[in-house]
Amino acid sequence: MLSLAQAVLDGVMIGGVYAVISMGLTLVFGVMGIVNFAQAQFLMLGMFVAWFAWRFLGIDPLLGSFLAFGAIFALGWALQATLFRRVLAAPPVAQIFLTVGLIIVLENSALLLFGSEFRSVATPYQTASLRLGELFVNVPYLAAFLLSVVCGGLLWWFLDRSWFGRAMRATAQDPMAARLMGIDAARMHRLAFGLGVGLSAFGGAAILPYLTVYPTVGSQFSVLMFTVVVLGGLGSIAGAVVGGVAVGVIQSVSTLVFPIQLQNLVLFLLFIAVLALRPEGLMGGSR
Amino acid sequence: MSRALVALALLAAALLPLALESEGYAIHVLTLALLFAALGQAWNIVGGLANQMSLGHAAFFGIGAYAATILQIRFGLSPWLGLVVALALGGLAAALISLPTMRLRGHYFALATLACGEVMRVIANTAAPLTGGPAGISVPFGAEGVWMMRFEGGRPIYWLMLGALVVVTVVFEVIRRGALGYRLRAVRENIAAAEAIGVDTARVKLQAAVISGALTAALGVLYAQFNFFFDPDTVFGVASISVRIALMAIIGGIGTAAGPILGALIVIPLEEFANAALSDRAAGLSQLVYGAVLIAMVLVEPRGLMALRFSWTFRPRRASA
Repeated sequence: MLSLAQAVLDGVMIGGVYAVISMGLTLVFGVMGIVNFAQAQFLMLGMFVAWFAWRFLGIDPLLGSFLAFGAIFALGWALQATLFRRVLAAPPVAQIFLTVGLIIVLENSALLLFGSEFRSVATPYQTASLRLGELFVNVPYLAAFLLSVVCGGLLWWFLDRSWFGRAMRATAQDPMAARLMGIDAARMHRLAFGLGVGLSAFGGAAILPYLTVYPTVGSQFSVLMFTVVVLGGLGSIAGAVVGGVAVGVIQSVSTLVFPIQLQNLVLFLLFIAVLALRPEGLMGGSR
Repeated sequence: MSRALVALALLAAALLPLALESEGYAIHVLTLALLFAALGQAWNIVGGLANQMSLGHAAFFGIGAYAATILQIRFGLSPWLGLVVALALGGLAAALISLPTMRLRGHYFALATLACGEVMRVIANTAAPLTGGPAGISVPFGAEGVWMMRFEGGRPIYWLMLGALVVVTVVFEVIRRGALGYRLRAVRENIAAAEAIGVDTARVKLQAAVISGALTAALGVLYAQFNFFFDPDTVFGVASISVRIALMAIIGGIGTAAGPILGALIVIPLEEFANAALSDRAAGLSQLVYGAVLIAMVLVEPRGLMALRFSWTFRPRRASA
């Protein structure tokens, strides 16, 4: 019973990060209707930015996450302006294979530039844990979780309260009407794409203290992110929060029952089941 | 293309290996290109005619490769009979996968099929007593002979792949020109309208999926006999098989019989050449080029090279948003 409570606690904290990295995916889909299969590769880039910031500038990855967000936001902005802009009105096949091509390009660019070795950071709190009654709170998990909560709060404020956020949601609902209201839709798309991949990069940096980074690390997160957003409903930010925590808890609890190799299998089957039974997501409704 | 031209091309393709060194590199690359052309053609039935973007065809491919190889190791079964088993298992797997994914379209279908392929990869990696696990599996060595598909030199397996490509292409053309082809296109263009005029859309999609899955599994058997060794991450791989198969059709021209053949004849030699030329200098460079070519293709002409031929003369510019 105690181990179950511990697994749920760990799952919630890991799931908080899953929520943030998946928000980027759902945001891009919500605003532009594009499923970015390469989303997890931006997470990988964020991890690398944070790693280099730690190695050469001595910046803790938790602070480096803001740096990662900034750098990958700029990259996303540029990619939207050059590549993705051209496939907005294209059939799904072009969108799918543009992002699949991007996976190959990003992973192999990282391999060329940074090499294939596994890199990790050393932080003073890496092995620390707090006692909470009978339970232990892993400090890197907690730090990543709290950072994700802050990030999620900022995103909520941005989308719900700021002019840019409202303009972006208007663009998502009806690009033509938004344009008539004087909103530069193309600019909103660049902003949304930059924000979307930036969020995943931010989450990637936040989990760096307890993981290692290497060029293909993203593939671990691809199906996971899709499971999160499909669980919550593609395009729904609130859904990503619920889905993220749910996936974190399921993943963590399933390790109590199944051998570690089958951990992902549980996730895949859950993913297929949700797609088959409720493709609009557990939260239901549109956006 | 006229019939005479097709016959001439086929004759040239059949005679070509006689001009090449029988154990040579060129014949190896061409055999691989023929295999992927056939795979792209099998994918084309679902991806091209019904426009269901499957990213999980590795599931069928791997099932075929593993089933026939395991039967050969355990019971000394001839790969020819393995081919029959693979056809059955591939069709069955496609039917099973179709049940939950049939209603899905576009991105959702791509995502669901992707996950199905991944499920098979995890299972093959975990079921080590049967599959050999991550260490992979080897086709047992035996005496040469047609019955065990064990040939001397590279020519017979080349002809075998050529034959497979012809069979799959004929199946594709028969479907495309027949009633099933028209129904599939009706499903692709407007599913509600197809339903309204009495097309049993679920049945049509299921038929296409089963044929495509069965053929892909059979090609997996040929791959095993061609390569002798494979592991779960290769035959169930997303990038190595699922995406690559779809790519043949997309680069060449989706929904056309010549598309996957053209795509494979360009992409596979290009890949092999890039690997040979660039991999010593920098790991990842050849793959990087490959990804860049894919992106360029999608941006320049998402309908594939087949469409470029027509657009040279008349090219309406699409307004970009």
